[in-house]
Amino acid sequence: MKKNTIPALIILLLSLIAALGSQTFLGACVHEDGSFGACHWACRAILGEGALLAVLALMALAVKRARFGLYLAMIPASLLGLLTPGVLIGLCKMPTMRCRMLTQPAMTILFGVMLVAALIGALLSRRGEK
Amino acid sequence: MLRAENLSMRYFRKTGQANHFYAVKDVSLALRPGEVALLTGRSGSGKTTLLHMLSGLLKPTEGRVMLEDTDLYALPDADLSRLRNMRLGVIPQGRSAVDTLTVLENVLLPRQLRGEKGDVDEAFRWLAALGIADLVNARPAELSGGELRRMAIARALAGDPEVILADEPTGDLDDENTAAVLSLLRRSATEDGKTVLLVTHDSEALPYGSRVYRMESGALSEQA
Amino acid sequence: MGTANLPLKNLLRRPGRTAALVLLTALLAASVFGGSVVVGSLRRGLESLEARLGADIIVMPAEAESKVSFKNMLLQGTTGAFYMDASVLDAVRGAQGVELAAPQTFLASLKADCCAIKVQIIGIDPDADFTVKPWIDERYARDLGDMEVAVGCKVTAGVGETLKIYEQYTHVVAKLAETGTGLDTAVYCNMDTMQKLLAAAEEKGVSHRISSGSDVISAVYVKVRDGFDVGQVNNWLNGHIRKVTAVRARSMFTDVSDSLSGIARAARALIGAVWALALAILLVAFAMMIHERRREFAVLRLLGVSRRGLRGEILAETALCGLAGALIGVGVAALGVFPFTTLIETKLGLPYLTPNAGTLLRLAVGTVISTLLIGLLAGAWAAARLSRTDPGTTLREGA
Repeated sequence: MKKNTIPALIILLLSLIAALGSQTFLGACVHEDGSFGACHWACRAILGEGALLAVLALMALAVKRARFGLYLAMIPASLLGLLTPGVLIGLCKMPTMRCRMLTQPAMTILFGVMLVAALIGALLSRRGEK
Repeated sequence: MLRAENLSMRYFRKTGQANHFYAVKDVSLALRPGEVALLTGRSGSGKTTLLHMLSGLLKPTEGRVMLEDTDLYALPDADLSRLRNMRLGVIPQGRSAVDTLTVLENVLLPRQLRGEKGDVDEAFRWLAALGIADLVNARPAELSGGELRRMAIARALAGDPEVILADEPTGDLDDENTAAVLSLLRRSATEDGKTVLLVTHDSEALPYGSRVYRMESGALSEQA
Repeated sequence: MGTANLPLKNLLRRPGRTAALVLLTALLAASVFGGSVVVGSLRRGLESLEARLGADIIVMPAEAESKVSFKNMLLQGTTGAFYMDASVLDAVRGAQGVELAAPQTFLASLKADCCAIKVQIIGIDPDADFTVKPWIDERYARDLGDMEVAVGCKVTAGVGETLKIYEQYTHVVAKLAETGTGLDTAVYCNMDTMQKLLAAAEEKGVSHRISSGSDVISAVYVKVRDGFDVGQVNNWLNGHIRKVTAVRARSMFTDVSDSLSGIARAARALIGAVWALALAILLVAFAMMIHERRREFAVLRLLGVSRRGLRGEILAETALCGLAGALIGVGVAALGVFPFTTLIETKLGLPYLTPNAGTLLRLAVGTVISTLLIGLLAGAWAAARLSRTDPGTTLREGA
């Protein structure tokens, strides 16, 4: 196993946790009256962003020649995920809501680690590209 | 001059009739600069035990080891270690590489342990003389037994010691390399004035020795 | 002697072995740091609760549920409302040994503007209050005026905004400092405002009157004069005022501090177990590592490294591993605990207030030092075992 595949493996794992978690154990609550809050839509966006990163990571693992470029692409992709809950899509206002207590910090950590991993992956692959 | 004075190594047995036995018994020996002494004998006769005692690695139960006027085993550990580093070059049996260091770093190690920077030119010279100069950046794990053995010889010589103590230095080597190593060690005695002791049961070594000693059941005799 | 770079080379060129040791120490450090931050936060939460309560005795209506709902309000921020006649205040003030008596009136909003969560509204008397007022004073120098409210830090509205309660517009003039208790989700106003809100609530059909025409209050906070026994004053209040129950503030939270010390005990036991386990694993790991490398160490001795030098080499390796592991562990624990503070508080249902930066720094440094110490202990033990066999014997063993 080449050293520069490790960040892609980490990103694959974390993006799947983010994508699936946003719909299940890390997801937003449904209101008593059955309507959806802002948190719900933020989680839907995260589902897409997590899936995007998972596909990018799979491609990076499969196609050695494109690894450097794919790592570069993962940088803005994880940044997008990092900014989604709270900045790009507002969340519920009460700090004691589930999405504020759980979803937002969890996603900040997940996408933050992915951002760092993508940077490291790009750095490691850069040398191999010459 | 490295002298053994009435050296004995007695081991205690846990079972059996006699509760102890001598691996080396009452051995006296004088190794002189410029000479190559050969130590032969069957395995188990006490050759390696004697070599370890002469190297300052194994404290004898009786007797002394003198390097010039210094009694090795009267020194505290730190001073004895320093003496081993500065004045003795030991080539042990078997693998003796530091696996995390490259071949070059292994050869530089004796001098670096003294706090010196390490002499890369000197290291290259010895590695080239032993035919492994192309392996400088290899790791020990990539080397064959014979290559490792030659690396250990280069490392022992690179510290520029007064005394070289080698335990079966040609054990893993083919005929060509055996001859190269033996003549190299011979030259370091005759040309550089070093004191050399070779433990061997290789009859090819006989022509290179100034004296030949034979161990038998812990007792030493000099052969004509 | 110049072996200074040997430990680092040894570690970097055996990444698998090094990673395993670092991971192990990181686990140890993470559990120690995470555990002590949680315990420290609970302890600070309890202190903050006691400070906010600041009374010796609390007098409330005699109904059985009032005590429970009062406690839940303080601990979990749930809403509660219960009432007694305002004349209770004068009766309490008339009791012997009562130095200060301050009324509070509670009202639960139906729904606040935002996320479908009810808010507790607490009316205070700025002239008499000695518990909430010092807290408000930290952020708002004047007394709360008509239709002015101060809000806890977890209420959505910010200073300058308008908060609509029962169709009445109130102005947020202060956002209060965090307490880690249920008080963080409450809204505070003065008694005049409260009366207006109560009237508005009644129009919406939320009844609270005991008898028409008289004012109501929900609780009276009592401070006992020096030299008087709190228990005796409490008994007197219970015996002489009808339809109220007087509760000693301390006894109210004995079960909180009980469960707190339970959690603290469990955390300590857990930390202790992790320590013992980590120490045992590290001892075995180092013993195995040193056994595996005994030939290499014998060679170093042969080349002239003293016993002491070899011990230094081993300790330097373990110290580097320990330091890296400790720093990673503290970092991971910080990521696992600090972003989820609100979640932990809610799940525990106990006052939870993260200690200040100085305390956290002390905890982090203490964790790093103690982790390092464990690594050094394991390394020293392994080194001591190594020096018992002489290098000659090791070198004779087959390669």
